[in-house]
Amino acid sequence: MSRAWFLGSLILLLLLAGLVALHGALIALTIPLLLCLLYGLWFSPDEVELEVRRELSAERVAPQTPVKVSVMITNTGGDLEELALADVLSPALAVQDGSNHHLISLPKNKSFSFEYTLRGPRGGFPLETIHAEAGDHLGILRVARDIRTFGQLFVFPPVARLKQVPIRPRRTRVYAGTIPARVGGAGVEFFGVRDYQDGDSPRHINWRVSARHAEDLYSNEFQQERVADVGIVLDGRERSNLFVGGHSLFEHSVLAAASIADASLSQGNRVGLLVYGQYLEWTWPGYGRLQRERILHALSHAAPGASQIFEGLQYLPTRMFPPESQIVLVSPLVEDDYSTLIQLRARGYQVLVVSPDPVTFEENFLPRQPQVQLAARVVRMERGLMLKRIQRAGIQVMDWNVAQPFDQAARRVFARRIQTGGRP
Amino acid sequence: MTLFALVISIVIGSGSLAWGYLQFGLPQFARWIILFGAAWLFAVWQRWRWFAYIGLIFNFLAAAFGLWFLNFTPGWMFAGAIGGLTAWDLTDFRHRLRFAASDEERRVVETRHLVRISLLALAGFGLASLAMLLKFQFNFEWAILSAIVAALGITQIIAWFRKRS
Repeated sequence: MSRAWFLGSLILLLLLAGLVALHGALIALTIPLLLCLLYGLWFSPDEVELEVRRELSAERVAPQTPVKVSVMITNTGGDLEELALADVLSPALAVQDGSNHHLISLPKNKSFSFEYTLRGPRGGFPLETIHAEAGDHLGILRVARDIRTFGQLFVFPPVARLKQVPIRPRRTRVYAGTIPARVGGAGVEFFGVRDYQDGDSPRHINWRVSARHAEDLYSNEFQQERVADVGIVLDGRERSNLFVGGHSLFEHSVLAAASIADASLSQGNRVGLLVYGQYLEWTWPGYGRLQRERILHALSHAAPGASQIFEGLQYLPTRMFPPESQIVLVSPLVEDDYSTLIQLRARGYQVLVVSPDPVTFEENFLPRQPQVQLAARVVRMERGLMLKRIQRAGIQVMDWNVAQPFDQAARRVFARRIQTGGRP
Repeated sequence: MTLFALVISIVIGSGSLAWGYLQFGLPQFARWIILFGAAWLFAVWQRWRWFAYIGLIFNFLAAAFGLWFLNFTPGWMFAGAIGGLTAWDLTDFRHRLRFAASDEERRVVETRHLVRISLLALAGFGLASLAMLLKFQFNFEWAILSAIVAALGITQIIAWFRKRS
């Protein structure tokens, strides 16, 4: 019941009592109430007609980066005695400076501007509604309206700069790139020796081999370098990401996925992303900066979730990845993931597993007791054993202790891989 | 400032009613009114906004009861009712003040509101006292006329509400 109805009912009650009792004082008692009600009816606005313009200093930012929001509101209707304004924000966003709500008086055709600074964690946040509530000063009658505006703030995950990701898929694409293609041709790395052909540069003639043959000349052949298809699978399963006390490894996995996507795209590869969690969220493979933007968009919205269907990795839709391409799985891994990884390898995919270490991560949040340390030791041994078995199947593994920055950890591990030609 | 005015309103409202009842030798009633005032102050502390509605009804009913059945002096009863009305208004206003962004913005709105509610309360008190001072002979014809005017007024208000919604 609105305040006006409440006042009206009280007035009616007193009035009836006064009439029944034929008592003037009772009727006189309604006068203050009547004054209040009439004031409200007289000064309350018929409609709230406002024009809103909102500007953001940046629409795509890194986590916790301050973003300045400027809002300008123009009253195109009648005088508004009391106007409460609130720029509706997602609960995850925090106002750092200024305020997103105001209580003002806005006369006809006048404008009011305000600014505030906000920051937030990774995610996509719509800024689409300004809630306006206008009324008389006594608040007897109030008119509320949600004004739709257009605006979105994307907080992209942080990206660690990696020089190179040591991938070596069996099949590459036709365009020149940086991935060794296992095909002879123009390149840098020695690939083999073949008969000299017309047009071969004299500098490519292998004189040592040619000297052994009286009639024939032989040329060095180099390994072609091409771009490849890279499919990044981000494990968003709750069972593999959430740990004691609600702590999550997912943010670390997102950082790793973003960094690998960025590095792979910088090398000219075609990169796709699959977030495997509550449901499958697939970003089609593509090249270049636009694809980087698409992947960061997808990662900014990614969240861990539970699903009975996608509890294990066995439903990983391998058809989405071109045959014999490179798959990068970013996952803390659980025990039953081993068989899926072996199957991927058996199908001809080259697999790189980036695994944030869940044991060390969770141990930090547990009490330092002998039992806990013993349990951690056992689990660590089990995990080490599983990673060894995975490596023996020809899968590259990066076991990442998240206490260390990803770029540093990756540089150390990937440098070793590059020296061994991408072999695990 | 609003909180201070709110507390003062409750104290004046309950105090006036209690004093009115006490003057006519009804200390039991006065004690209950004071107790209710204390409960209202507790509700303000707990930010129970709904209590203000009960408070307003209670103050007006207590005033009406005193005027109707016990023929009390109208002054104290009007003061009690208007105190309740002001407290009811300020409780909601205090809630609306959460939208204010800064102390400056809050101060401007508070000042404007307090001036208007004070003027309205004074006008209400003045008009009611004037009506009592003139002491019209309130007979059956006046009652019929008041009923017709009230019915017309209420019809207008309902029509106005329906038009808005």
